[in-house]
Amino acid sequence: MSVVELQNVSRWYGNVVAVNDISMTLQPGVTGLLGPNGAGKTTVLHMMAGFLSPSKGAVTIDDKPTWRNPSIYRDLGLVAEREAVHGFLTAREFVTACARLQKLPDPKAAAKRALEMVEMTDAQDRRIDTFSKGMRQRTRVAGALVHEPKVLLLDEPFNGMDPRQRMHMMELLHRLGDHGHTILFSSHILEEVEQLSGLVQVIVAGRLAASGDYRRIRRLMTNRPHVFAVASSDDRRLAVALIGEKSVSGVEIEATGLTVRAADYGSFTRALPRIALGEGIRLRRLLPSDESLESVFSYLLEA
Amino acid sequence: MRLVPTLSGVTIIATQALTKTYGGGVTALSDLTVDVDAGVIGLVGANGAGKSTFIKIMLGLIAPSSGGVRVFDLDPVAETDKVRARVGYMPENDCLPPDVSAAEFVTHMGRLSGLPKTAARERASEALRHVGLYEERYRQIGGYSTGMKQRVKLAQALVHDPDLLLLDEPTNGLDPAGRDAMLNLVQRIGNEFGISVVVCSHLLGEVERICDSLIAIEGGHLLRADRISAMTAASDVLVVEVSEGQDELAAALSEKNLRVSKDGRLLLVPLDSETAYDQILQAVADLDLPLHRLDQRRHRVAELFTTKKETADV
Repeated sequence: MSVVELQNVSRWYGNVVAVNDISMTLQPGVTGLLGPNGAGKTTVLHMMAGFLSPSKGAVTIDDKPTWRNPSIYRDLGLVAEREAVHGFLTAREFVTACARLQKLPDPKAAAKRALEMVEMTDAQDRRIDTFSKGMRQRTRVAGALVHEPKVLLLDEPFNGMDPRQRMHMMELLHRLGDHGHTILFSSHILEEVEQLSGLVQVIVAGRLAASGDYRRIRRLMTNRPHVFAVASSDDRRLAVALIGEKSVSGVEIEATGLTVRAADYGSFTRALPRIALGEGIRLRRLLPSDESLESVFSYLLEA
Repeated sequence: MRLVPTLSGVTIIATQALTKTYGGGVTALSDLTVDVDAGVIGLVGANGAGKSTFIKIMLGLIAPSSGGVRVFDLDPVAETDKVRARVGYMPENDCLPPDVSAAEFVTHMGRLSGLPKTAARERASEALRHVGLYEERYRQIGGYSTGMKQRVKLAQALVHDPDLLLLDEPTNGLDPAGRDAMLNLVQRIGNEFGISVVVCSHLLGEVERICDSLIAIEGGHLLRADRISAMTAASDVLVVEVSEGQDELAAALSEKNLRVSKDGRLLLVPLDSETAYDQILQAVADLDLPLHRLDQRRHRVAELFTTKKETADV
């Protein structure tokens, strides 16, 4: 069980402030790191991995600083965004070399285990330059996992992977998170983050814009009405009943049903079943329209 | 908005037992037979499944080993010029010259397609406006962001007013805002301009969102070709999500003799009769729980790539 912590961390390059006074704590489990291009995600990951010194503040893993502290690599694995693997090595040779670098007692067995974990056993004796992007990516994850680090950082791990490889990688990260590893991955594909973990850290323009479960983040945005799509056996009568409810700020009637705007999430979601039952209307569909990570993310960017 | 007669039902691409074997015995496509109707079409498949080979054959860049392919009822190998006049192609990799402006580059591509000088300039200006590049178009491409480069690639595919666009991973490397803009653009090209679009993508959520139909290839074979609406049909399972008190609700529903199963934050209830709706609602109201979601579970395109037991019909 390892905890990664950033305390009031800033990083600037000359006059450019890439990361501005960020504090965050990563607990065991899977966390997604989100932000537009150029927001500072990679800078944060590199500081966590000890590649960059923070200009201000402290980056620690279990209270040990990551900068100028090679011993943290015993507990840390990193899959960088840019690929730098030797194409002339086979997957097995590459992962074994990673195991040797970590001075593992039995590098061959460790490499075998890591390659099994990412399901690359069948292709382990092929040269890396014959691999597809997804296979290379999995080989690199195996290299980062070979010493069973408690903390795993991944920069855009899903880039270039096909659907099956993505699902497989997601399962892998899930499994590692459930086993108490602390995993942070950056991604642009919000659906993936949504499926993989509700926990997010959102960076916008170098600052931490939000952190935590995105559903809870959405509830905290009380200035935005919650939008629901509703369909029932009698939409028009339901609309009349709903507009009488205090938590409802608007109802629109559309071809496929109702669009309901609720100012207060808690009271609306409790009132709706009661109202529908009271009116004898059969509720066929209730769908939250702006609760997805995608809409939460765009609200955060606008703010 | 310009009204365009709907093209659906018109076959634009037809292949007959299409096979491509590369030297060295690698079979990229094998016995692929598919008819593609006009519209926005998603082309999905694993890495190495044969998507790129399929695109190259449609463009007439490589010849099939056996079998046939017709694009707009033309043979891409024998009538390459005619096919290319009607097809625009956006490649996946970064292939733009860094030291010319987008306006110059797209004009040049227009001239390569045979447009006269002035027409090429006008069409380039139009295409760049459609993809949302305005003042930036006079700057050198080398200084562009990934999103802007993707737009330039799309503009050069549109410059000669094709009837079919082949887009290879158009959202690669874009951040959420850029992705959203690109997807809207592709959808507009399909719906408003009446240009058919084949989109290669790894992101099945994207395909579900913008495509009318889908072709899935696996290992060079056709896995499935169908309309998206058929693949995301509602199943007879109800999904219930409450923001709190999930276990209490599950217990209450079991008491009502509903077969409840749990899937993460969701409760799944088989929809045997319409009364299931009322029973669920009654249980939620009795426990005074916040109801977050109630809907028939939909099938997802992703199920193509999972094993049978994980499909929606649990």
